[in-house]
Amino acid sequence: MPRPRIAIALALLFTISGCGQIQPWVKPYERERLADRVMAWDRDPLSASFIEHVHGNREDAKGGTGSTGGGCGCN
Amino acid sequence: MLLAARLSRFAGCLLLLAAAAAFADVLPDERADAMWKVYKGGGITVQGPAVLVRTNVADKASFTAGYSVDVVTGASIDMVVLGASPLHDVRKQKNFGIDYLYGKTTYSIGLENSVENDYDDTTVSAGISQSMFGDLTTVSLSASRGWDIIRRVINSAGAKDPNFRRRSDRKTWGISVSQILTRNLIAGIDYEAITEQGYLQNPYRAYRFLAAPNSALFLTAPEIYPGTHTSNAVSVRLKYYLPWRASLTGKYRYFYDTWAVRAHTAEVGYTQPMLHDTLTADFTYRYYKQNAASFYSDLFGFANQQNYLARDRELAAQNNATMGVALSYDILKSQHWFVKKATVSAHYDYIAYHYLDFRDASQRLFPAGSEPFYRYNAKVIQLLGSIWF
Repeated sequence: MPRPRIAIALALLFTISGCGQIQPWVKPYERERLADRVMAWDRDPLSASFIEHVHGNREDAKGGTGSTGGGCGCN
Repeated sequence: MLLAARLSRFAGCLLLLAAAAAFADVLPDERADAMWKVYKGGGITVQGPAVLVRTNVADKASFTAGYSVDVVTGASIDMVVLGASPLHDVRKQKNFGIDYLYGKTTYSIGLENSVENDYDDTTVSAGISQSMFGDLTTVSLSASRGWDIIRRVINSAGAKDPNFRRRSDRKTWGISVSQILTRNLIAGIDYEAITEQGYLQNPYRAYRFLAAPNSALFLTAPEIYPGTHTSNAVSVRLKYYLPWRASLTGKYRYFYDTWAVRAHTAEVGYTQPMLHDTLTADFTYRYYKQNAASFYSDLFGFANQQNYLARDRELAAQNNATMGVALSYDILKSQHWFVKKATVSAHYDYIAYHYLDFRDASQRLFPAGSEPFYRYNAKVIQLLGSIWF
């Protein structure tokens, strides 16, 4: 087996073997700030959806935002 | 006419993915939202109501139902150039979704349907979201399938061409990873691929070409699009909690497709609660740029110059900038009857569009091909009321 493949295989092995032992480095009681509403990606789903179609109907790019979509386009 | 255009087709899948990604091991809040939205720009006005309701059953299943109406009036630059009648059309969209929570996995399905005079769209979607590594990581997969039927209106009374009925089909696949990095920082990476085939163009649009070599005049003819389109979009998101209880957001998306369009989208946002936490202000700035599609030209040299011909400004080289501000006020912060919380919000966005190779062909004083580049500004206003129950 060529060396690069061995290196990749070892890296994958270490990665997989480590998965089962990962301890959350941010404990549940430390997530108060993350649960704050200022940290929400889209507080108003209707609004996020509409503004995304406003953009999407006037641009070629679409998708991949991990956010709400939908909407109308027009001539 | 043809309001549904392109993006409406992806609503169901995206809505579903967002819900699943954000709440992999807990159901979303039960809430109801009502909104009145207005878009005004480029000669077109779009306005109408929208509602969205989400309710949960036994902490296991969450149901969403939405309804939206867009009333579109006015005349865009393309309609002015072609001498078309001003537009008055209505689009009605319905969507329904179910999220089912089992352990740390959320299963989701969705259905979306959009109907207007000349365009019907139906999309079904499914997704799965898994929380892992002590709930630090959430991985979401989604897929959707959509079917569109396109017709053509031939007069101002709304009569349709009986001989014109086209179809397009669409598939999307998405993966999203949300990651807690520190006590103050969340990140997200998203990828989405979309394939479309069928009739992908707008039946009303036309390309233009010189009436004769070196002529100052132009003629028009119906556009011809390829029958397939595949696009890919990848994005990264970061949100950081600031020490004085505010947040900073950064987003970037790279898009590329088989029509040779490459696009970059960058966005920053700032959220600040104030007035004893009764008022929340959001400020956003978004910048977008893209190059032109391979078969786009503002002015072709002659008719049928190549196999595919388009002059859609959505396929032209362009950039635009959006500045937005939103204010959300809590009118109820404690339980009252069945309502736990209630807010009212107002959003205002100002968008400046600049086209780099799409000229304002309505200015007939200029020889064809030397008109100024088209640019316009748009305003978007959204007024919302929300209750949590």
